[in-house]
Amino acid sequence: MMTTAIAQPDGSATRAKAASMIEAREVFKTYRLGRVDVPVLRGASLAVGEGECVAVLGASGSGKSTLLHLLGGLDRVDAKPIDVDAANHVTYRGRAIEAMGAGELDRYRRTTVGFVFQFYHLLPELSVLNNVLIAAMVAHGRLGYMRQSSDLRERATDLLDRFGLAHRLKHRPVELSGGERQRVAIARALVNKPELLLADEPTGNLDQTTGASILDAMMSLRAETNQTMVIVTHDPATAARADRVVKLVDGKVATSG
Amino acid sequence: MYQALLTRRYLTSKIMPLLSAGAVMLCVAMVLIVWSVMGGFLNMLLASGKQMMGDVSVAWPIFGIAHYEQLIDDLEADPSIDRATPTIEAIGLMSLPTDESRQVQVIGIVPDGFDAVTGYFERLYWVHLDEPLPKDKNREDRRLTIREGFEEHGKTLTWPDVVRGGVEPAVVTGIEVSRFYRRRREGFIESRLGQILPGFEVTISVLPMNRKGGVVGTDSRKFTVANEFRTGLYEIDANQVMMPIGELQKMLQLDAQDIPDRDWIPGQIELGPDGVPRPVLPKAVGVQPARATNILIKAANGVSPDALEVEVRRIYEQWTQRYPDMGSSDGVPSVDRVSIFTWENKPGLKTFISAVKKETALVLVLFVIISLVAVVLILAIFWSMVSEKTKDIGILRAVGASRMGVAWLFLRYGLAIGVIGSLIGGGLAWTIVHYINPIHEWLGRAMGLVIWDPEVYYFSEIPNVVEPSRAAIVMIAGGVCAVLGALIPAVRAAWMDPVKALRFE
Ligand SMILES: Nc1ncnc2c1ncn2[C@@H]1O[C@H](COP(=O)(O)OP(=O)(O)OP(=O)(O)O)[C@@H](O)[C@H]1O
Ligand SMILES: [Mg+2]
Repeated sequence: MMTTAIAQPDGSATRAKAASMIEAREVFKTYRLGRVDVPVLRGASLAVGEGECVAVLGASGSGKSTLLHLLGGLDRVDAKPIDVDAANHVTYRGRAIEAMGAGELDRYRRTTVGFVFQFYHLLPELSVLNNVLIAAMVAHGRLGYMRQSSDLRERATDLLDRFGLAHRLKHRPVELSGGERQRVAIARALVNKPELLLADEPTGNLDQTTGASILDAMMSLRAETNQTMVIVTHDPATAARADRVVKLVDGKVATSG
Repeated sequence: MYQALLTRRYLTSKIMPLLSAGAVMLCVAMVLIVWSVMGGFLNMLLASGKQMMGDVSVAWPIFGIAHYEQLIDDLEADPSIDRATPTIEAIGLMSLPTDESRQVQVIGIVPDGFDAVTGYFERLYWVHLDEPLPKDKNREDRRLTIREGFEEHGKTLTWPDVVRGGVEPAVVTGIEVSRFYRRRREGFIESRLGQILPGFEVTISVLPMNRKGGVVGTDSRKFTVANEFRTGLYEIDANQVMMPIGELQKMLQLDAQDIPDRDWIPGQIELGPDGVPRPVLPKAVGVQPARATNILIKAANGVSPDALEVEVRRIYEQWTQRYPDMGSSDGVPSVDRVSIFTWENKPGLKTFISAVKKETALVLVLFVIISLVAVVLILAIFWSMVSEKTKDIGILRAVGASRMGVAWLFLRYGLAIGVIGSLIGGGLAWTIVHYINPIHEWLGRAMGLVIWDPEVYYFSEIPNVVEPSRAAIVMIAGGVCAVLGALIPAVRAAWMDPVKALRFE
């Protein structure tokens, strides 16, 4: 799955195009508010190579979350883009996500992508451990999950342990702080060993030190597994730890210095 | 997998699912209780009705069937028939010792045969009791103090003749005919007048008719009331009076009679053996056999009334062929003219039974409509639950749950609520129905609330059996209702856009 040959962090910017794992090419996304069309993405392009970590910067409302949703197969690009000549598609290893059927798309979300949301999005009725395991349950189905349940539980507890939550497995999300919740969300995103981690402002709602410690944990994991990542942020310190930083301006991606 | 986990968590952490389970429970319990009690009431009615008329009757009213003993022999020779007995039914008038009169249905019976077919002896009311009924704490039941002979009088339809010695024919009346009594909640009967009817004389009047159906006069005779009977079916208990068949045959001129010589000329005088002249009486040229208007037939074990009716029809037709020269006015009506019917189709009873059946069905339909309201209620509750859980749905879809998976989550949830509600509702209904009599009694004592007044409803006990098949139907229906209620919200959940669901606040 992951080739060590292209896992070097250096020079990734130049090499991304050649071996891109996920690519948005000139995508358009328009929301409709009543009768008015609000174009958010207008020909945005982003290619992420295997093992690469890309940070996406941009003003609030510039469409960062929207782009991430498109990459994660949660949303679809406009059927009728403003620029009819634009490529307007998202491809995963050359396969257009728009062309995937419902089953294939579900599988893509289940096994290929791990999503960390801007606002944690944990299930309030479930314990911390079950919030992580639910992704595994969805991914493996009833029989698969039961067959591997001890392995999966071990992986989930390991991940939570790594994020410093070993003693809070039985707690409910409401009993956790924001930073703790975000770490649970990250553990959930990683439990199925996704090829691609999409994190939407994982440190956005947290103070400097908490944010930094979460980022440390993510980066150390990346060092071990060579995880491909796209991190949306508006924190320059976070962006600085990525291989490459891009910026969303006027619905397009501009490479930033 | 995740559906099971979430169902469990949702169920234990929210008030809404408990409310919908409560709605299912109440509907299931309500329908099951009503069905059990009303259905039980109907069964009790039918059982007591049946006990007074056997499975199948052959009827040729007013004129009666001649040679009925032969017909009974033919019937009883058939393996599908257990017993057959003749009766005579006639309209009559009964004058009571209180100088009141009642219009009654007078029934002439052969006591032993009638008992074998209908269980009549069991219905005799004035039977000496050694022990009071369970609820009769003050030993107020008259049957504790009457002498033991009453039962025998009732069984033989006789009363001791104190003047001449021996016995004389007597009658047994339905317990509601005289209106002497009041039904007590404890299950026995109390006299309003301080007296019970047996032992008193009543006058029975009937209208004998000729072969053309014209009334040829009236015949009134006095009888002592030997006992009273109680079937539990008001229509019967308030109208029927039993007397020995021979007596009623005489009164109605349906007994065996000489057929007078047609060549007889009135006004002729002859000398008698004592040398005194006397008018010449018509010579008898034959005997017209005694008649019975009805034959009551009891099926052998395992033979249904409908099957028996077919069999009786066949035997009857064969029997008529024994008397090729006799027609319907001679007491041998053809099989097409005579009425042969099962007890349920007995004229009079049929309309009554179908009225009670319709009433039961009506109440059931009402409660089924109420259950539809419960479906709508569950739909509303689930709709709001899906709204409340919108974000969860978005999360599940984001981690890769399919539309079907999300729909199944809510259907399963509905099923769980339905199953829980049905089980508790079924248990509740069983408990209430099983203990309905003590509960009802307690209600009566504690709050003066009497819903089932035996003085009105006639049966002293409320039916208290839940049939398992009915319980199964109602409980499965409860589960299905809950799933139906959850269906539309589940489809709505499945078709939610995951991104919109995640942005939902
Ligand atoms: N479902 C929607 N309907 C209408 N407008 C929408 C919808 N979703 C997003 N938008 C609009 O699209 C624009 C981009 O939204 P998006 O969430 O992608 O911004 P963002 O860059 O992630 O901002 P932030 O940094 O505040 O999270 C915003 O103006 C938002 O109002
Ligand atoms: Mg955002």
